[in-house]
Amino acid sequence: MMTIATSVKQCLANIKGIEAQLSSLALNSNDKGAQEVFHDTMITIASVKKDLQSRVLELERLEPQYKG
Amino acid sequence: MPSWIDIIIRSFVFLALLLFMTKILGKKQISELSFFEYVSGITIGSIAGEAITGLEKNMFQGMAAIIIFSLATLFADILALKSKSFRDFIEGRGTILIKDGKVLEENLKKEKYTIDELSALLRQKDIYRVADVEFAVLEPRGNLSALLKRENRPLTPKDLQMKVPAEKEPQTVIMDGSILDEALRSSGKSRGWLETELEKLELTLNNVFIGQVDSYGELTVDIYDDKLQVPSPTQRPLLLASLKKTQADLEIFSLETQDEKSKAMYEKNAKLLQETIDKLAPYLSS
Repeated sequence: MMTIATSVKQCLANIKGIEAQLSSLALNSNDKGAQEVFHDTMITIASVKKDLQSRVLELERLEPQYKG
Repeated sequence: MPSWIDIIIRSFVFLALLLFMTKILGKKQISELSFFEYVSGITIGSIAGEAITGLEKNMFQGMAAIIIFSLATLFADILALKSKSFRDFIEGRGTILIKDGKVLEENLKKEKYTIDELSALLRQKDIYRVADVEFAVLEPRGNLSALLKRENRPLTPKDLQMKVPAEKEPQTVIMDGSILDEALRSSGKSRGWLETELEKLELTLNNVFIGQVDSYGELTVDIYDDKLQVPSPTQRPLLLASLKKTQADLEIFSLETQDEKSKAMYEKNAKLLQETIDKLAPYLSS
């Protein structure tokens, strides 16, 4: 069964993927404006990632059997 | 000296002279001929023709005439750069044919244009109703420039208040299977990067006819084998899709959780992601 903990973990993995792609787009773009937008959004995504990470830790404490 | 040798010599001499003179006169001669430049160009050509085949005459006379004509044109060009009134005199001024949506018959008559010719010129610009035109000028070079009324102009992103990202010109980095290092450098990429990108597409360099890098650093290629399908870059649209999915996930979590604190956290981050999606959408949809 899908528990909340596993789906939040999946979501966290997606967020990490998005962050990495934004970082590569920021590095590969030639346009200053685009670079800035990609960089700024990457920082926003990083803050979302941090919140989700701490939520995953909490959930692992609540449901230790799903620790993975 | 047999006359045919004379003709060969003269041909090469005049070809070289004409090449030299056209280089001095520059591109303007071909693209934006004023009537004066047009006539002087023709004259230079016919003097050259005359001097090459007119064996009974001294060819240096022809050369002198060509040089004088070229220098006079060049001199007129330089003077036209310096003085506005001389420019108007030599190159002519535009004549307004339509103003405030009304045809100015006086000016049409002055330029000896019939209404048929005016509507033919408008049709070349895809305008079929004179009433749609706000303003039209007959340029000195004989072409018509027309400004449509506001409501008849094509819709632009600005009209829709849409944000569109700036775009740099694509750089051609591969041509005929060889790497163009200068273009590669100006797009800020290295040979190593190019090799990795080609590897991702499962191609080798000598399969590629044209390769271009766009402003997002994505490589698009055209290959020799037209039967082979090359995947077009999908990274950015996919990224947008996964952002949207993640945003939806966070909203679901916020509805499912009982814990007030995490509910607030999910809601805050779902909102943050929505803002991010709105900000990125112009850059990610291609």
